[in-house]
Amino acid sequence: MNCVLEVNCVKAFGKAIHALSRIGEDLWLLALRSVNSAHSAYACFVFSPMFFQHYSLGSNQDQGSEIIHCKLAMKSVLPLFRSLTSIERNVERCQITINTTSDRVKIMFICKHGLTKTHNLHFQESESLQAEFAADLCPNILKAPARLFSDMVIHFPLSQEEITLSTTPHRVSLRNYYEEGNDHLKFMYTEMSLHPDEFEHFQVGVESDITFCLKELRGFLAFAESHCLPVSVLFGAAGKPVCFFIEDMFLEATVVLATLPASDNRSPSHSPRCGEAVAPATTPQDVPAETEMIMSSKGSPIFQPPFPSLHYLESLVPEEDVASGAATPASSQICSLLFKALSSEQDDNLGAAHLSVLACYSDTEEAVEGETRRSASF
Amino acid sequence: MKFRGKIIDVACLNHFSRVVTTISKLTKTCVLRLTPDNLFFVLSGKVANGGVSMWCELSQANFFDEYQIEGVSPEDNEICLEVAPENLSRALKTVQNAKAVKVKLTKKHCPCLTIAAELPTLSSIGRIVTHDVPVDVIPRRLWHEFKEPSMPDFDVSIFLPHLKTMKNVVDRMKNLSNFLVIEASQNGQMNLKIETDLVSVTTHFKDLGNPPWGRASQSRNPDTMAEARVDIRRLQQFLMGQQVQPSKAMCNIVHHKVVHLILLHEDMSLQYFIPAVVQSG
Repeated sequence: MNCVLEVNCVKAFGKAIHALSRIGEDLWLLALRSVNSAHSAYACFVFSPMFFQHYSLGSNQDQGSEIIHCKLAMKSVLPLFRSLTSIERNVERCQITINTTSDRVKIMFICKHGLTKTHNLHFQESESLQAEFAADLCPNILKAPARLFSDMVIHFPLSQEEITLSTTPHRVSLRNYYEEGNDHLKFMYTEMSLHPDEFEHFQVGVESDITFCLKELRGFLAFAESHCLPVSVLFGAAGKPVCFFIEDMFLEATVVLATLPASDNRSPSHSPRCGEAVAPATTPQDVPAETEMIMSSKGSPIFQPPFPSLHYLESLVPEEDVASGAATPASSQICSLLFKALSSEQDDNLGAAHLSVLACYSDTEEAVEGETRRSASF
Repeated sequence: MKFRGKIIDVACLNHFSRVVTTISKLTKTCVLRLTPDNLFFVLSGKVANGGVSMWCELSQANFFDEYQIEGVSPEDNEICLEVAPENLSRALKTVQNAKAVKVKLTKKHCPCLTIAAELPTLSSIGRIVTHDVPVDVIPRRLWHEFKEPSMPDFDVSIFLPHLKTMKNVVDRMKNLSNFLVIEASQNGQMNLKIETDLVSVTTHFKDLGNPPWGRASQSRNPDTMAEARVDIRRLQQFLMGQQVQPSKAMCNIVHHKVVHLILLHEDMSLQYFIPAVVQSG
C-alpha cells in the first residue's frame, strides 16, 4: 500500500492521530483505528482515497485479500505527528508505504529545502477490532455543530473522567459524574443544560441518562471543531453504547463509547463478543465493556453506518448497486468498499469483482490528479 | 445562615474572577469571610503553609448588584467558609459572558457555594450552568484565627518596583538559591540578594520612594537597611499570582522577622506576610 498526502491533509491526518491517541495504545493503519485496553472505547477515522494525492493498494493483486491490517504502537506514531505547527511549516508531502515482506511501514516526510525525513516503523499484522453499533436501533439522535459540544464540555475540567448526558424531550443536560464513596466533599459539581432548539437535529425516543468517559472524546471533538463539522450523537438507554460520528467528503470518523449500566452497583463486566481476552477492569473508573467488539477479518458483520448517512446503507445492501457503480457518488462507493473489503467471506462470490473495482478506482485517481487538489482546502 | 449575591455587570464579573484567580494562585485553600459590607479571603499563618498569611479585602458594593446576608446570628452577622479558591476560579471563568451570575450558599451533598448563570445563545432560551463549589462552614469559636492582621512595627516601608520586573529577577534567582534576602532603606533603595557557595547575585533598585507613614522615618537613619531572608518560592508564588499592576504596591520589612507586602487595587486590597527564615550555618 502506498499513499501520498499533501501538507494540509497531513495536518488533518495528524490531528486524527492525536484524537486517537487519547483512546488507545495501538493504532491500526488503513482506516485509522484505535481501541482502549478495557474495550470500552473505540475510534475509527476513515479517509476516502480522494483525501490522498495518490493512493494505490500495491502491485500484486491476488485473489486473496490484499488488505493488510497493520497494528502500530501509538507511541511510535504519535511523535511523528506531534507538532502540527512544525508540520505545517516544514512538510510539503508525506508518503506512507506498507511493506509486507519486511513488516515495516515507511512514513516519509518530504520537507522544504530538500530535506526528507524517513521513519520506518515495525508493525504487527493483527486483525483490527471493529465496534458493532446498531445505528438504526438507536432511539435518540442529536446533531449539532462541533462548536456546540465544545461549548458544553468546556465547563468541565480537563481532568474530568466521566460525565452524564441526560436527555428529555424538553432539555438536554450534562453533568459531571463522581463515584459514590469517593471523597466527594472535595469535588465541584457542575451541571449545564440547554434547550433542544440549539441542536440541528433532535430526536429523543427514550428519555435517558448515559454516563461515559469524557476524556476519550475530547480529541475527537477537537478534530471535529477544527474542521467545522457537525457531530451526530446516537444513543439509547443507560448501558447501551453511545456513538459520535462526523463526516465530510473526504473522511468519516466515529467514536463508540461504552456507557455505565443503569443500576448503581457494579455488576461484573459483560464480556464482549470478541476472540481476544478482555483486559480485566482494575481501576475504579473502568466502565464495563458493553460495546460488542467483533473481529473484522473474515466474514464478520461490518460496522453499520449510522442513520444520518443514508448513502452508505444504500451501497451496502444490494449487490446490484456495487456492480452498477453509476448511481452512488464515487467517494461514498470507495469508503463503503474500504469497509466491505474487510469482510471478504460474506461476499465471496463478489470477492474478485471487489478487488478489481478497488484497483480500478485507484487508477482513476491518478487520472483525476488535478481534482484531488481540492482535498487541500480543509 | 443565608447568603445570596448577584453580579450583572460584565466588568465587575471580570474583576471578581481576576481577584479569585489571584487568590487561587497563592493558596490551595483559604477562608472566605462574608460580612454585610465586605468579602475577605483569609489565610492564617500556620506551619502548614510555611507560615505565610494573607488578607484580601473586597468591598461587596464594588462587585455585586444584589447582596443579602444573614449571618450566624444577629450579633455576629457574618459567615465564615473554608473553600478551595481554584474551584471558585474555574466556575467563574466558565460564566464570563453570562447576563447575570448568582452566588448562593446552598446545601447539596454538603454545604456549597453555588454559582449559577444563564449564558446567552442565539435561540430564545439560554443555557443554564450551575457549579456547586463545596465549602466547610467554620464555627464561630474559630473565628478569632481569621481576624484582620495589624500593621507590624516595621523598620522600613518602601514602594515596590514594577511587579513584572521584580518577578523576572526573582524567577532567575530561584534557579540559583532557595533563599533570598530583601533589604530596603528609608531613602528609596531596595536590594534583592542571593548568596550560595559558588555565586552571589544582587539586584539594586533605586529611587523607589517610601510611603508616607510617619512613624519609622523619624528616629531612623534613612540609609540604614532593614533586611529579611525569605523562602524564595513564597515570594515567587506571590509575584506569579499578580495579573495586573496594582495602583500601589508596598513592602514593610521588620528586620529579620517578616516581609509584609501590600497591594492596593481600585476595588480590592491584598496583604501578604512572608516570615523570615533563620540564617543557616
